[in-house]
Amino acid sequence: MSGDWVRRALAAATAAAYVFLYAPIAILILFSFNAARQTAHWEGFTLEWYRRLLSNELLLHSVANSLIVAGVTTAMATVFGTLAALALARGRFAGRAATQAALYLPVIIPEIVMGSALLTLFGAVGLRLSLATVILAHVAFSISYVAIVVRARLTGFNRSLEEAALDLGAGPVGVFTRVTLPLILPGVVAGALLVFTISIDDYIVTSFVAGVGATTLPLQIYSMLKVGVTPEVNAVSTLLLAVTVACIIIAQRLQRAPGPGRGV
Amino acid sequence: MSRDVPPARRSAPWLLLAPTWLTLGLLLVLPLLLMLGISFRERDVYGGLKPIEDLGATVVSGAFLANYTRSLEPIYLAIAWRSLWMAVVTTAVCLVIAYPVAYCIAAVAPPRWKTVLLGLVVIPFWTSFLIRTYAWMFLLRTEGLINTALLGSGLIGKPLELLYRDGAVLAGLVYGELPFMILPLYASLEKLDRTLIEAARDLGAGRLASFFRVTVPLTFPGIAAGVVLVFIPSLGQFIVSDLLGGAKTMLAGNLIQNQFAVARNKPFGSALAFELTAAVLLCLLVYALAVRRAGREPLL
Amino acid sequence: MTRTAWKFPAAAGVSLAALCCGGGAQSGAEERQVNIFVWSAYMPVELLDAFRRQTGIDYRFDLYDSNEALLEKLQSGVADYDMVVPSDYMVQILIAQRLIQPLDRSRISNLGNLEERFLDQPFDPGNRYSLPYLYGTTGIGYNREKVPEPVDSWDVLFDPRFGGRILMLDDMREAFAVALRLDGQSGNDRDPAALRRATERLKAQKPLVKAYNSGDFANILESGDVDLAQGYSGQLAEVVRKNPARFAYVVPREGGTFWMDSVCIPAGARHPAAAHALIDFFYGAEAGAKLVNTVHYASPNRTARAGIDPSILSDTAIYPTDETLGRCHLIEDLGALTTTLDESWTEIKAQ
Repeated sequence: MSGDWVRRALAAATAAAYVFLYAPIAILILFSFNAARQTAHWEGFTLEWYRRLLSNELLLHSVANSLIVAGVTTAMATVFGTLAALALARGRFAGRAATQAALYLPVIIPEIVMGSALLTLFGAVGLRLSLATVILAHVAFSISYVAIVVRARLTGFNRSLEEAALDLGAGPVGVFTRVTLPLILPGVVAGALLVFTISIDDYIVTSFVAGVGATTLPLQIYSMLKVGVTPEVNAVSTLLLAVTVACIIIAQRLQRAPGPGRGV
Repeated sequence: MSRDVPPARRSAPWLLLAPTWLTLGLLLVLPLLLMLGISFRERDVYGGLKPIEDLGATVVSGAFLANYTRSLEPIYLAIAWRSLWMAVVTTAVCLVIAYPVAYCIAAVAPPRWKTVLLGLVVIPFWTSFLIRTYAWMFLLRTEGLINTALLGSGLIGKPLELLYRDGAVLAGLVYGELPFMILPLYASLEKLDRTLIEAARDLGAGRLASFFRVTVPLTFPGIAAGVVLVFIPSLGQFIVSDLLGGAKTMLAGNLIQNQFAVARNKPFGSALAFELTAAVLLCLLVYALAVRRAGREPLL
Repeated sequence: MTRTAWKFPAAAGVSLAALCCGGGAQSGAEERQVNIFVWSAYMPVELLDAFRRQTGIDYRFDLYDSNEALLEKLQSGVADYDMVVPSDYMVQILIAQRLIQPLDRSRISNLGNLEERFLDQPFDPGNRYSLPYLYGTTGIGYNREKVPEPVDSWDVLFDPRFGGRILMLDDMREAFAVALRLDGQSGNDRDPAALRRATERLKAQKPLVKAYNSGDFANILESGDVDLAQGYSGQLAEVVRKNPARFAYVVPREGGTFWMDSVCIPAGARHPAAAHALIDFFYGAEAGAKLVNTVHYASPNRTARAGIDPSILSDTAIYPTDETLGRCHLIEDLGALTTTLDESWTEIKAQ
């Protein structure tokens, strides 16, 4: 009886949270079809903005840039961050405190300082700004997020499972891929999602270190918004959303194969 | 049965950490040291850096700390206090909203749905943060969606002033930080051993008691990770208060951004940023010590 | 713009260049690219495409949202831009820091198309480093239905009757300029007592201000969130043009800000010849007219007037009358005083 009540309350709270999350998104999508440029008034359904979008080379170019940067950053940061979390879970070693401090830094430093600092560094070493400098900057601040999330997952990790596997003759790599990794996978996936999100949406740091032609989507949008919201921006956001949802659905389908125990 | 870590294992962390150290060392620590150096200098007439005439005198007289001394003036302390308060409230609200969501996804939802629900949490954040903030403005404006709907349905006579105030800034901050609270909480809740809760119930604990005395403490790492990931960026935020708050509040983030953008005073801006960093590091240190004393695992 | 997109015009460009630049003279043949760093919406893509068709020089451009962002990129020395478009006071700073190079007049044949009165400004005497690109004023846009008496003074922005319905630019210098002008001073006044009075005036105003915003002010006025907005001419003119019965723009009698953005070439530019060619292109009659017709800001290009839409030319919000311009002044950089002013601005914003 009371169990039901709690479950319902939880479900309601969660649903409310999702509504909160999606309210602006719904507006975004809705008004990408609105014939009116600005206002809250509905002036008719149109696909005009999507048409314009496909011929807006600048915008498309920036989407491509954002995807490249986010993809590379996620790959690198997830690997580095997971390794770092594993290392830190091993207990004491020399330099542990320093590592922890270094990993906290990106989370602590205001983005504007990080952007300015990186620009100063690149200037000092004469590294010309480009898409690569954006990727370097993104990886630098993303590793920490993966490390923190995976580390939370590793807390209380049952070391004896690894040791048992080693006793049974598995090599360290085998232990990792067949024991450790499946158990920390949800954390790794959560971390990767987090990094992708951060990277694709980053404005401040990117604005400092992007080179010519390396404009990412947030930079492009920001400059468009400064002058006035065009529904083209809504259109591109809607499209990105649709693509993302499609990817997730496909990933879901592919995951149908039964995995070991919990931790899907 | 505890075992000693075999000697061969002790070198492993170094290999695991090499890529991280290389990246962070070159791309984070080094530039920040450069900025630290800049924070000790002075702004020149046009916003560049004044060349140092006499290094010795500058160090000895303490003149290199000029920016830091200036930041202790009351006006700046007031800004610090307001930012702290805003960040605390944001984090608290985020935690309250996020916990049920994370719990639902981790414990209540059927396994097939977990990825979908998790993905749904993250997907809105793959649209631009700026657009979402503008969408909020669209919702909250005098002629925005909410007011139009409320006026149209006759629930109110005059439009509500929802935008350009602290409440709107809070909503915007919470909105922007929510996934950073949900994801770590989920990671922690997901591996929660439910049998422990059952054991507590068997021993006679009520739902609430078993929640606060078993679940919450066990998910402490997730809570801590979420709090860290939300509290700290909230301190440095400036876009939300500029857009949703009508740039009427000067928070720490606005102040620092101002120094870089408007006042072109990089030395002062860097000094402020490092102080912000130091304050946060101090909090984290206190937290780490407290955690160690309580016998729990720290964040990293 | 994309890698594949420029193959065709580049090929055309090479052959074109080979044909007409055979001799020994320095030509743009080596430089088939120009990198531009510009204020949003200032450089219509259609025009740049026309430039590419005409000269075979490809372009890439980036947008910045503040002069200070531009300064920081140029100071780093690793941004790769050939042409930038800073505001008046920033040109002064860029010259002082040696971040831009002198222009080569011989490569800008259309120089004579510029109106003389916009040349030789105090921030770049003799136009050695910069040439005017677009200009405008800062004034007040207001809702005629909500503000019945015609506005002609800055003090309407301090009127308690409109409390909560006022917008100010989120710009330290513009805000102080308003307060100083009401005090009978110029916007560039350095007198500490005058600045203190201005600070107090702005602090007293703050409760009446609904928002400070330098980007979206026109939309905020149009959407009805405020009835009075301090803002730049181009965007406010747009609002007025769409609905002249409802909105109006005015430069108050105490005077407003005259702003001017100029084209410059960074000191380390890799394609200066291409940049000069682009500047020359924009100062042509046809391109100049198309520019104004697209962006709706005023241009100092005399010959372009023939091709500009008459409704734009006669719009006094976009093309201010001589009388209005006479009342307006440039904002000059205050050097070391910027720090003091910033403290006052923080005081105002933090209360």
